[in-house]
Amino acid sequence: MPAIVLLLAPIVAPLLAAGGYAAAGWRRSTAAAGVAAAVLLLVDAVALTGSVARHGPVRALAGLLRADALSVWMLLIVGTVALLACWASPAYLAAGAPHRRRRRWYGILLQLFVAAMATAVLAGNLGVLWIAVEATTIVTAFLVGHDRTRTALEAAWKYVVICSAAIALAFLGIVLLYYAARHAGMSGEAALDWSALTGHAHELDPGVTRIAVGLAVLGFGAKAGLVPLHAWLPDAHSQAPAPISALMSGVLLSVAFSAVLRFKVIADAALGPAYLRTLLLVLALATLAVAAVLLLGQRDYKRMLAYSSMEHMGLMAVGAAAGGQLAIAAVLLHIAGHGLAKTVAFLGSGHILHRHASSEIGAVRGLLSRAPLLAGLFGLALLALLGLPPASVFASELGIARAGFAAGLGWAVSTAFGLTLLAFVALSVHTGRMLLGPAPGPVAIGAGFSGPAAFTVSTAAPLIAGLLAVAALGITTGPLTGLLSAAASIIGAP
Amino acid sequence: MSDNVYGSGYVQAIDLAAGVFLLCAVGALWRRQLTAMIRLFAVQGLALAALVAVLGAHQRSPELIAVAVGLAALRAGVLPYLAWRSLGDSPAEQRETRPVVNIATSLLAAAGLGLLAYAVTRPLVELAPSAATRVLPVAVTVVLIGFFVLVTRRRALSQLVGLLLLDNGITATAFVATAGVPLVVELGVSFDLLLVVLVLQVLAARLRSTFGTTDLDELRELHD
Amino acid sequence: MNLGATVLTVVQVAGVVGVSPLLVGVLRQVRARLEGRAGPGVWQPWRDLRKLTRRPPATPDGTGPAFRLAPLVLLGTSLVVAAVVPLITTSSPLDPAADLFAVVALLALGTVTLALAALDTGTAFGGMGASRAMTVLALAEPTILVAVFALSARVGSTNLGAIVTAGLHDPLRVASPASLLAAVALVVVTIAETGRLPVDNPATHLELTMIHEAMVLEYAGRDLALVELAASIRLTVLLGLLASLFAPWGIAGASLASLPLALLAFTAKVGLLGAGLGTVEVFLAKLRLFRIPELLAGSFLLALLAVAASVVLA
Repeated sequence: MPAIVLLLAPIVAPLLAAGGYAAAGWRRSTAAAGVAAAVLLLVDAVALTGSVARHGPVRALAGLLRADALSVWMLLIVGTVALLACWASPAYLAAGAPHRRRRRWYGILLQLFVAAMATAVLAGNLGVLWIAVEATTIVTAFLVGHDRTRTALEAAWKYVVICSAAIALAFLGIVLLYYAARHAGMSGEAALDWSALTGHAHELDPGVTRIAVGLAVLGFGAKAGLVPLHAWLPDAHSQAPAPISALMSGVLLSVAFSAVLRFKVIADAALGPAYLRTLLLVLALATLAVAAVLLLGQRDYKRMLAYSSMEHMGLMAVGAAAGGQLAIAAVLLHIAGHGLAKTVAFLGSGHILHRHASSEIGAVRGLLSRAPLLAGLFGLALLALLGLPPASVFASELGIARAGFAAGLGWAVSTAFGLTLLAFVALSVHTGRMLLGPAPGPVAIGAGFSGPAAFTVSTAAPLIAGLLAVAALGITTGPLTGLLSAAASIIGAP
Repeated sequence: MSDNVYGSGYVQAIDLAAGVFLLCAVGALWRRQLTAMIRLFAVQGLALAALVAVLGAHQRSPELIAVAVGLAALRAGVLPYLAWRSLGDSPAEQRETRPVVNIATSLLAAAGLGLLAYAVTRPLVELAPSAATRVLPVAVTVVLIGFFVLVTRRRALSQLVGLLLLDNGITATAFVATAGVPLVVELGVSFDLLLVVLVLQVLAARLRSTFGTTDLDELRELHD
Repeated sequence: MNLGATVLTVVQVAGVVGVSPLLVGVLRQVRARLEGRAGPGVWQPWRDLRKLTRRPPATPDGTGPAFRLAPLVLLGTSLVVAAVVPLITTSSPLDPAADLFAVVALLALGTVTLALAALDTGTAFGGMGASRAMTVLALAEPTILVAVFALSARVGSTNLGAIVTAGLHDPLRVASPASLLAAVALVVVTIAETGRLPVDNPATHLELTMIHEAMVLEYAGRDLALVELAASIRLTVLLGLLASLFAPWGIAGASLASLPLALLAFTAKVGLLGAGLGTVEVFLAKLRLFRIPELLAGSFLLALLAVAASVVLA
């Protein structure tokens, strides 16, 4: 297969699906189009795996698109989570009963979102990476405000303003990096090309590179949910429709974090590992502290899941700070496991919201006795997020801890895991309150909800698939082992 | 200090364009009327286009001059028009409510931000000193002022203007440091900016119809 | 001691004292005509001064030396500043005192003595006027310092005569960004220091709007004449300083031969500035009191940017 087809298919397939929704609207027949696009994306990712393993990185469009092992790993995760989200969307929309026009926009924007993430992951040029990440903000703006309630609108406004400002700062960082690269003698085309930059990184002026990389990490880190520009995250992830929250929490944060990892490669080559290690460690510990503290008194279960995402991003940043192949491999595995488990959790929370018409933890009681399948799946997803085996999150957290101690960051890692323990306790208490206990009287149904749709096995299928995937990943990475180690070696020097 | 600075019309033109650029940002921080802020933003777009055109004329690059014309069309024409369209009709809608930091303190803070920008951009200017890169502190000051407006204003449209100032400053940095990023990237960035403004305009309209005002203090329901 | 320089300085002081009430008269006449009134004529301020000097001064009960000495100190500092600032000649025998910091300190001294006198009267208006004047002073003085410092950075000396001479030799310097920013800042500060619209209305006696007038409310007769003369001298000197810094052509060096041209240039420039000020005042409304710190903070920011521009862009 020629490289350009392999690289363009993951972007074009969702775009075509979006076009299909624009033309035909959201019907039962077209609902499958999104799933088909996601399946195509996954198939292409698998094909790329083979191609990259055999021939090394694949380039197209004069280096604008590039797939190396890291891109393929991220693409696999994007495809899987997109598949689960598109699979679960019809059930979610049917229960929520929005207008036909809004369903059509939902379909279009969802596919555009997936296409933008695929572009960001396959970008070989820093400019293309930036444009794609900014495009995800634009596209998800209306998805976050989909419900047209006051809180959704508030969340959408904060989201767009804070993320655009943060991404603009990241662009300033990219511009300064371009400046340093041009001054080091690289041509206009090569100066934004990631692989060329990593090759010539030692020639970049350290003073300028320090400022540039700092800004880029702050900007993309804000999009990944790291402190200090994280204020949009709990609002946006709690107000968006459940499949969209799943995509945003599960994969968009990780895509932004992979951008940070790419800048880490350039920074480590140009400045030595100490600079970004310190920066990432500070951001990580601050994020973990904020997330853990705000999880303690949390009253809304969707915000709870959002803060849990922040906590996991903090852990990933600790792993990235530790550096080295083991740490990065653990981080990548964590991205996969967290993505799948968080998706299942958010999809479950969407169904809980439809049953109870309220997203408060206090409004949900004794779910296990009333809706055992839903409660069971939600509970298992939370257990996976807490890092219990056999979920892969257990293995990746263990890997991050080991790598952290090996890199001499013992005190930082201990603090990080202490805060994680705090979050663990908070999450368990809240989830326990929701799931366990006797069933109360008949639940009140709010206006606009058509009543608890039967949570059948077919509705539950995406969640079951996600949980099985997390469990399988936790036991063995199987055929993906080679890909994982190749991706880890790109970022972390062995 | 060089002694032949004012012998060259090129250097004077760059300095003049950069000066107007900065003054527009200061003016946007100073004024309370939202219409005045949008007007100042439009003038700043023209100053930015003039700056790029001067750079293009000096480097004899027709491409840069074409980019300057495009910048003028976008940032002095389309974007201010879109921002103006999202203003409300009543006079109360067209003024900024009490900003988080009052105007006098904002102006003094802007002075501090200017000094900060000058300090931070020292390594950038020392890397390749030239008449163009000497303007870098001005561009970074505008970035910081835009960020300050974004953070300290209570009106939706003021935050939009702050975001646009921020972006103008970053674009100026790009052109002054390196004669612009590659054309593909520049087009993508401009297109993204246009889309962001459109999105914010629609959201502001929805805010007004849902909350009755675009005063962001009304957005109080999401908190921990 | 250069004889020519001394003569020029004496002529400068005499000229300033003679011209300043005339300048105020021109200002008022321009305003009157634009407002559709006949106006009192350009010699009215001289007639007022003559009337006031014939009356005995009145000193309220309970005031002390501060009240009695303030008009003298005010007039004294204004005369010294008039002798030192390069208006007609750039070289004065008081050259060591022609320093920027000294001039600004003298201006501040004048305002502070007047404020102390106002406090000394013990009336409500006096206290109110003094506190408002100090608010304006706190922001205006640093702005003058920083704005003229921006112009001096290139020259390497804060001597006002040296700055003006450098401006004479290098006319393009006036159009530089640093110079333009400093000009705007200085215009705002001149208006603030001399109490013109939009900072203060010299024709009002309403409690809500007075600043300078509140401080001199208790003065009468000779003391009031001194205070009014000092105020008009300060206006003339500040406008003349603006003209010298940004349009220095025609100013004399140390030679007597250039005296007529210098006098003519000075009167023309200051007259034009005064008429322009009068015209602009017709269209302006007084700013509300809490807006004045905003205006002055903005001018301080512009002055600081002028310094940054002169350092960075040089």
